[in-house]
Formats: sequence, structure tokens, C-alpha cells
Amino acid sequence: MENENKNTRRKFLDKGLKIGLATLVGGLGLSQLTSKANAKSKNHSGETMELMTADGKLIQVDTSEVVEVTHSNNHEHKYNVREGMPNRKFVMVVDLAKCKNALKCQSACNKHHYITGDNAWMKVYKMQEAEDTAPYWLPMMCQHCDKPACVTVCPVDATFKRKDGLVLIDNERCIGCRFCMAACPYSTRVFNWGEPGQEITLNMDMTNHTPSPEHAGMPSIKGTVDKCDFCPHAIDNNELPHCVTACPNGVFYFGDKYEDTVTNGEETVRLSKLLEDKSGYRLMEGLGTSPSVYYLPPVDRLVDFEDGLEDFKEFESVEPIEPLEKSE
Amino acid sequence: MKNLNLRHVVILVLLSAFIIPSLCQKLEAQNSDKIKIRIKANYTKVIGESSYIDITTSARIDKRNTNIANINLTVFSENDDDELELGETITDHDGKSRFIIKDLNKLLKDTLGFYTLSFKFKGNDIYNKASNDVVFKDANIEAKSFTKDSINYVSATIKDVFLDSLLAEKLLNVNVKRLFKSLPIGEEFNYTDESGTILVPVEEGIPGIDGNLVVEVILSDSDDYGTVKALVNTPFGKPVVFDDTFDKRTLWSSRDKTPIFILIFANLLIFTIWGIFIYLIINLFKIKKS
Amino acid sequence: MNDHKIIIRDLKPKKFGKRDTIWTISLIVIIVAGVIAYIDQLIKGQEVTNMRDYALWGIYISNFVFFVATSFVGSVTVAILRLTNNNWRTPIVRIAEIISLAAIIMAGITIMIDMARPDRLLNLFIHARLQSPITWDVVIIPSYIVISLLLLYFPLLPDFAILKKHFKKKKPKLSKLYGKLALNWTGSKAQKALQEKSIKIIAIMIIPVGILLQTIDAWLFSTTYRIGWDSSSLAPYFISGAFVAGVGALVTLIYIIRKAKKLEEYITDFHFDKLGKFLALACMIYLYFNINEYVMPLFTAKEGEVDHLNELFTGSYSIGFWLVTIIGLILPIIILLFKKGRKPKVMFYVGLAVVIGSWWKRFIIVTPTLLHPFLPIQGVPESWRHYFPSLHEWLITFATLAMAFLIITVCVRYLPVIPIQRTIDELEASKTNTKNTSS
Repeated sequence: MENENKNTRRKFLDKGLKIGLATLVGGLGLSQLTSKANAKSKNHSGETMELMTADGKLIQVDTSEVVEVTHSNNHEHKYNVREGMPNRKFVMVVDLAKCKNALKCQSACNKHHYITGDNAWMKVYKMQEAEDTAPYWLPMMCQHCDKPACVTVCPVDATFKRKDGLVLIDNERCIGCRFCMAACPYSTRVFNWGEPGQEITLNMDMTNHTPSPEHAGMPSIKGTVDKCDFCPHAIDNNELPHCVTACPNGVFYFGDKYEDTVTNGEETVRLSKLLEDKSGYRLMEGLGTSPSVYYLPPVDRLVDFEDGLEDFKEFESVEPIEPLEKSE
Repeated sequence: MKNLNLRHVVILVLLSAFIIPSLCQKLEAQNSDKIKIRIKANYTKVIGESSYIDITTSARIDKRNTNIANINLTVFSENDDDELELGETITDHDGKSRFIIKDLNKLLKDTLGFYTLSFKFKGNDIYNKASNDVVFKDANIEAKSFTKDSINYVSATIKDVFLDSLLAEKLLNVNVKRLFKSLPIGEEFNYTDESGTILVPVEEGIPGIDGNLVVEVILSDSDDYGTVKALVNTPFGKPVVFDDTFDKRTLWSSRDKTPIFILIFANLLIFTIWGIFIYLIINLFKIKKS
Repeated sequence: MNDHKIIIRDLKPKKFGKRDTIWTISLIVIIVAGVIAYIDQLIKGQEVTNMRDYALWGIYISNFVFFVATSFVGSVTVAILRLTNNNWRTPIVRIAEIISLAAIIMAGITIMIDMARPDRLLNLFIHARLQSPITWDVVIIPSYIVISLLLLYFPLLPDFAILKKHFKKKKPKLSKLYGKLALNWTGSKAQKALQEKSIKIIAIMIIPVGILLQTIDAWLFSTTYRIGWDSSSLAPYFISGAFVAGVGALVTLIYIIRKAKKLEEYITDFHFDKLGKFLALACMIYLYFNINEYVMPLFTAKEGEVDHLNELFTGSYSIGFWLVTIIGLILPIIILLFKKGRKPKVMFYVGLAVVIGSWWKRFIIVTPTLLHPFLPIQGVPESWRHYFPSLHEWLITFATLAMAFLIITVCVRYLPVIPIQRTIDELEASKTNTKNTSS
């Protein structure tokens, strides 16, 4: 009898121990699994934000890793927004010999101005004037003409020419008649036919930001015109326009004509020397618009024209954006 | 019992072989999930203005280098014996920060004249702690401008402040200060001679407001001295003539600067036409009255 | 006296019959559909149209130009015919004035439909830039509306007085309304003097104002660099085009009104004959300008110009271009050169062809040029290289046309379409003439 009792006791203890150990191991295993899972969700909540790095790259960063920082919105200008920065006259030089249609300028411009439409403000045209003449890539943006046809025809003073050479748009005043678009011979203006929807598709955060003609596209307004603004918001911070910094081939030079100096970020040269040495010219000079953008002819090409063909998209200039899903 | 004990001991040993490492791993998992931060620091001295350290904090996220904002760094001045806390600085939304050295004399230096500034980050939930330091000596550049035989020159002498010695064979860059990037003048390579001096002619015709040009003489990113920049105001520029089209009455000016012809003609038309309208409407009233 | 009564009975505004009511209701239905489409456009923005960054102006603008052109008929018929002493114009002037008024009012409304931000309409006045051709338009269109109104109103004063008397017994309320509008007209010497003087001033003024209106309308296009628009003769081209559109509309509507109101005694074959010659003249002048615009550039054959013209002659717009030119212009000229071609019924069809041709002509003027910019069209969706109006645009455009017809219908309903007093005066004048000659 005792032996049987002992046996059952033993068996009970045996089983109990086994179960106890099993629970212990199982418990540990489970807790490890859940902590791993928790660790994952803590570091990657699944929700990402599209952010811009300091050099204009667009990255997806987990929201838990990002801290909301107020944008430097010091719009207290020391100058009248309609008059412009004193003692400056901005010009751009585009070296067609270096352009191979990398389109980094276009994507940087699109990102920094939150462009949601189908027409980019910076476009690279595939040009060939005649059958015998050489084809080339032509980066095209607002020429900020000194005799702007668009400004002449605006009935409400919504687009204006500044002392510092920039032609800007006041989207609060524009009535959407599109006369400026009809007048521009460079076809450089785009229209917001519908709601641009930047807050939705690009998660653009407009809190603490006052709209200004100096930062076009912040925000874009339905029923008004938009175009390249030569990035006064960057110039204000002593930075070059985004297309200039984004170009990997150093195609764009930018500077102050009064200083006779232009730079593409790497080379800094005298404007007059550059234009003289490389025979700079302006587009459609005969129309008398007096543009602020000079082009250097594609002589002694650094890259072949054909190298750019693979990136050529005849029917697209703004990359389609997947609307980011918001949580809840 | 003996049998049980042995079997159970074996099971226990085997199990613990699995449990204990996983326990350790769990503790470690907390640490290994944090991201490593890199601190980059550069020393710049602008003669006559300030000395400062430019800091950039970055990390590798999703295989790309990204600058990290809001990193709180404590700044220390160190030498072999001592450590002095100078203050704190936080990186901005671009991951950058500028720590201004108010008085170099307050910093600790070693026997050879080297200053060491270190930046320490305590770490937070996301990022590991990190630190970096910057070691530099104090150099001084004296730049001046003069004209000889109707050629404009800028000369500059560089010396080590602590050792009070002139530095020869140093590469100096000479630029004219411009809006975005400075315009290089002089030779591509300007090396200081035995007396630590360079002489650079300033070409004619560089435009400057009221004829003024600010010339920079820069020792760029040297191992011992960091970046040292001297500025000299010169009158060697060609005075800029500003375009005044903005103030004129043109077709593309704002509404307050309408060309006189349009102003007169349009208003004349408007007033004539509507004046006649008023006259006609008055006639209607007259008809009604009579 | 009896004759007077007959005239009044014939010319007085009559109640709506069944046909008229159906007509009016259909117009209102079309207008409501257009209004709904417009509200949708206001909410969603102009992306409901098929206009995009290259075809940035579409049928809203070509419709607007059409209305502006048609409103020229007031200047032409009333003023030019008056100043050249063409006395046969009497029965048709009122209809011409009504068409003019309806067209210019609709022009003003149509251009506001094209504005993408109509909520900022006041900016056109508060922030107006005199250097812009649109500002000139903002000045001239209200001016022309007022002058058309005055041109319609002054000659109506005696007619209102007559109608007030006539309706006193049967329709006292209507009579009261006419009375108010008649401004105590008694036909006194003083009143007549004032009225005649005013009409004379208006008649003279409406010619330069009308020409200015067409010119400014043309300058909306010729102040740009675009091929097909950048022409120094665009303004005279538009003026003669307005002449054609206006007289064509007049002819068509006169025929309809004449039939509907049984006014064959007043508007006779003679009038149609005269109008036919007038229209033929207008079309011939317009043909002259068309040759200048479309044939002459072939001589220098500048690349852009040739591309543009090829688009019109043999390209995507060729059907429209040739239909408009042949059926809308050349054929009418040929038909109208013959006496048989100037019979009322034939004239109606000719007028109709001219008017519809005029509407599509303005489409041919606006759209092809916009799709031929200096730089190639790249980087935008393929659909942006073409333009055909969307459903919203058609609904809204038809609504504006229906609104114009509605204004005309309301005017025709309540106003005597032929000046009563003047007809009476002319009858008296001819009687005294025959009396004098016989005695």
C-alpha cells in the first residue's frame, strides 16, 4: 500500500515538475516572442512619414523616430515681398553640354514645391531644331524675363516683376483667367485645375507656415497659376535653388548679375567670362522678353545625348505619388 | 528517487542551456535595437569675428545617411589632465548645430598649444550614446590690401599663435566674398613663402557695391589649425550701376506705375463714355418730368 | 386712325401660345442643367472641363468671343444703317437691339464662367491694372451693356405709352408697368426733342464703342506671341467677323419672329432682299480678311505658321475649318449674290449656316493656336495634346445660349418687336407725301 502511495506521489511530483518546467520554458519563450514583437512595434509602428533630408532626398522615416520641429518660418522680411531683395539681380546659366536628362532637377523641384499635378515646373525637353542639327536636352523653367509678357497681361497684379529680377505669383489674388499662360511663349506656367490636395497626397503640414509668393506651392491653390519661383525661400537662407543643388552634372549655375558671379555649387565663376568663353545665349531672344536665364550651347558635350534617352518620359514630368495612408 | 533525480537534472541542465541564453538575449535585445549616431565636428576661426565648431549628427537609417535633429550634446574642453564643461548644444531640424567659442583663452590647452573640444551625447531611447572630439591649434592670418604700380594686391601672413612662428608652405585660398559661394581669385594654389606670406593681385573689373570688395583669405580644413578665415575690405571693385527699370512706368509694372499714355487715354475714354451715359440718363429723367 | 389701330394690333406684344410656352420651358430646362454643371465646376474646380495647361482656353472663351461678335449687330444695324439713311431698317431695328443686348449680357456672364476664381471677381476692380487687355475688356463690356440698353430704351418710350393706353382695360397691371416704363411720355415737343437728340447721340456713340469692343476683344489674342493670334490685322478681322455674325443672327431671328408673330406685312421680301445684300457685303469683307490671315502666311512659310495652317487645312482641324469656311462663308456669299437667294426662307437657312459657322469659327480661332506652342508639348499626359469640350462645358455653353434666347424671348414677349410709334410716323409721313404729290 505504501509503495502504491509512494508511486502515485512520485508520479504526481514527476508530472507536476514536468508541467512546471514546461510552463516555465513556455512562459519564457512566449514572453521573449512578445517582447520581440513589442520591440518591433516600438521601433517600427508601421506608420511612416515622408521627410526630406538636408540634401533634398525623400525618405520614409518611421513616425516614432521623428520629432515635430517647427519649420523655420521667419517671414519677417527686411524687404517688401513685391520689391525683392535689395541690390540683387538673379540670373541662371544652364550648360547644355553637361545635361544628360538625369531629371534630378525636376524631382527636387517637384518635392520641394509639393507638386501634385501632372505638369512639372521644371521640364527637360528633348530638342532637335532640324533633321541635320544635333539633338540636345533643354532644361526649361520660368525665364524670369526682364520684359515679362505674363506680367503685362495680368489684370489684377497677381503676377509681378521684382527689382531683384524674380517674377512671382500672389496666389491669393489670382483670378484664374489664364491670360498669363496664354502670353508666356516658353509655356512655363502650370494651372491648378482642381484641388491640388497636397495635404493628402504628400502629407504636407502647413501649420505654422504663412503662404507667401516667395515660396510657391506652399500651398498651391485651386484655380490659380503656379510656376518656377527661383526659390527665394532658399536664397533667403543663402542656399542655391533646389534644382541647382540637385543636379549631379553641375548643369545649373546661379548667382547675382550685379556680382557678376554664378556658381553651380562646385565651380564659382565670373558670369561675363562664362558667357563669353562658352558663347551663352538666351531662348527666343528675338521676342524681346529679355530672359534672366542664359544657355550655354551643347558644344564639346561631356555626356552623349543618347545617354539621356532611357530617362526620357514623353508623357510624364511629375512622378505619380501614392497617397500615404494615415493611421485610423 | 535517484533515477528521477538524474533524469530531472539532465532535463534541467538541457532546459537551462536554452533558457539562460534567451534570457541574456532578451536583455541584450534592448540594447542592440538602438541606432548608432555619428558626430562630425569642424573648427572654423574667422579673424576679427568669432570661432565656432560646426556639428552634424547623422545616422544610417534604411541604408542611407540621414541627419538627425534634436540631439543634445554636451561640450567639454579637455587637455591631458583636466576637463572643463563649456555648455550644451542641440542640433536643429537639419541635424546641424554651431557652437560658438566665446573666448579661446578660457579653454584648456596642452603643452604644445593644442585645444581639444569634445562633444558627448548621452544617448536616448532611439540612439546610442556617442562622442567625438576636435583637436586644433590657434592660428592667425593677417590680411591687408594695397596698390603698387597701379596694380591692386592683397597680402596675407599666417602664423601659429602659441608658438609665435610664421607658417610657411601653407596652402591659402583667396576669394572675393559673393552671395552664395565665393569667387576664387589669384592662382589656383597659393602657398605661403618662408615668411608665411602670400601676395595675390586682384584683377580689375570685379563688380562690388560702391566699389567695395570683401576679400577672404582662407586656410581650408588644415589638420592642425582647422579652418582659418581672414576678411579684408578692399576698394578694388568696379562700382555697380543698378538697373532702375523697376521704378519706371512700363507695360509690365504694377498698377501704380501705369504708362502715362495708357493712363490718360483709358481714363479719358471711360470718363467721356460714362459722362455721356450720365447725360442720357438725366435726359430720361427730364422726359419723365415734362 | 384706323390704320393706327391695325398697326398697334399687329405689333403689340401678345400672350404666349402653346408653342411659345414649350419653347420657354425647354430653355429653362437647359439653363438649369447648365447651372447644375456650373455649380459642380465651382466645387471641383475647372478640372471638370477638358481644358488643361496647353489648351488653356476652350469653348468658354470661343463662346464669349461669339457673343461679343454677335452683339455688334446693334451698332451695325441701328447706327450704321441710320447714319447712311437706310430707312428700310425701321422694322428690324428693335430685334437688332434686343439681340445686341442679349448677346452682350451673355458675353459678360460667359467670361465670368471662364474665371477659375469667380469669388475674386472684385479684384478686377480693386486691383485693376490698366496695362492689361482684360482690364480694357472689363471697362468696355459694361459700357456696351449700358449703351445697348439705352439704345433699346429711348425709342421704346412712345411705344410704352401706346401700350399703356391699349392695355388699360384688359390688362390693368401690365398697363401700369408699361406706364411706369413710359416715363410720362406724352409725345410733347420737348420730350420728342430730348428723345431724338439722345437717340442721335447714342447712335453716333455706339459706333466707336462697338468698334472698340470688337477691337479689345481681338487684342486679347493679338497681344500674345502665339502663332495665329500674333497678327497686326486681328482687330479688323474680328470687326468684320462681328459684322457677319451679327447680321447672320439678325437674319435668322427675324425670320423666326416674323413667322411666329405673323409680321409678313411689316417685314417684307424687300427687307430680306436688303438684308441679304448687307450680309453678302459683310461676308465678302470677312472673306477678304480670311484670305489675309490664312493664305498670305504661306508666302513666307515660316515654320510655325505653316505647321499651324497645315493643321487647319489638312490636319486634325481640317473638317471644322473647311465646313466653317465653305458652308459658313463662301456658300452664303454665292447664294446671296442671286435675287432668289435673298428670299426669306432661303435667307433663313443662309443666316443659320452663317451663325453656326461663326460659332465654330471662333473655336477654330482659339483652340488650334493653343495646341501649337513654341516649345514641344512634352512631359504631360497624351490627352493634353488634344482638346474637345467635356460634358460640363457643353452643358454650360448650351445654357448660356439658352439664356441668350431666353432674354430675347422675354423681350419679344413684352416689347413690340417693331417700333410702333415709328411705323405710325412713317405711315403718316408717306401719306402726307402721297397727298402732296397727288394734290
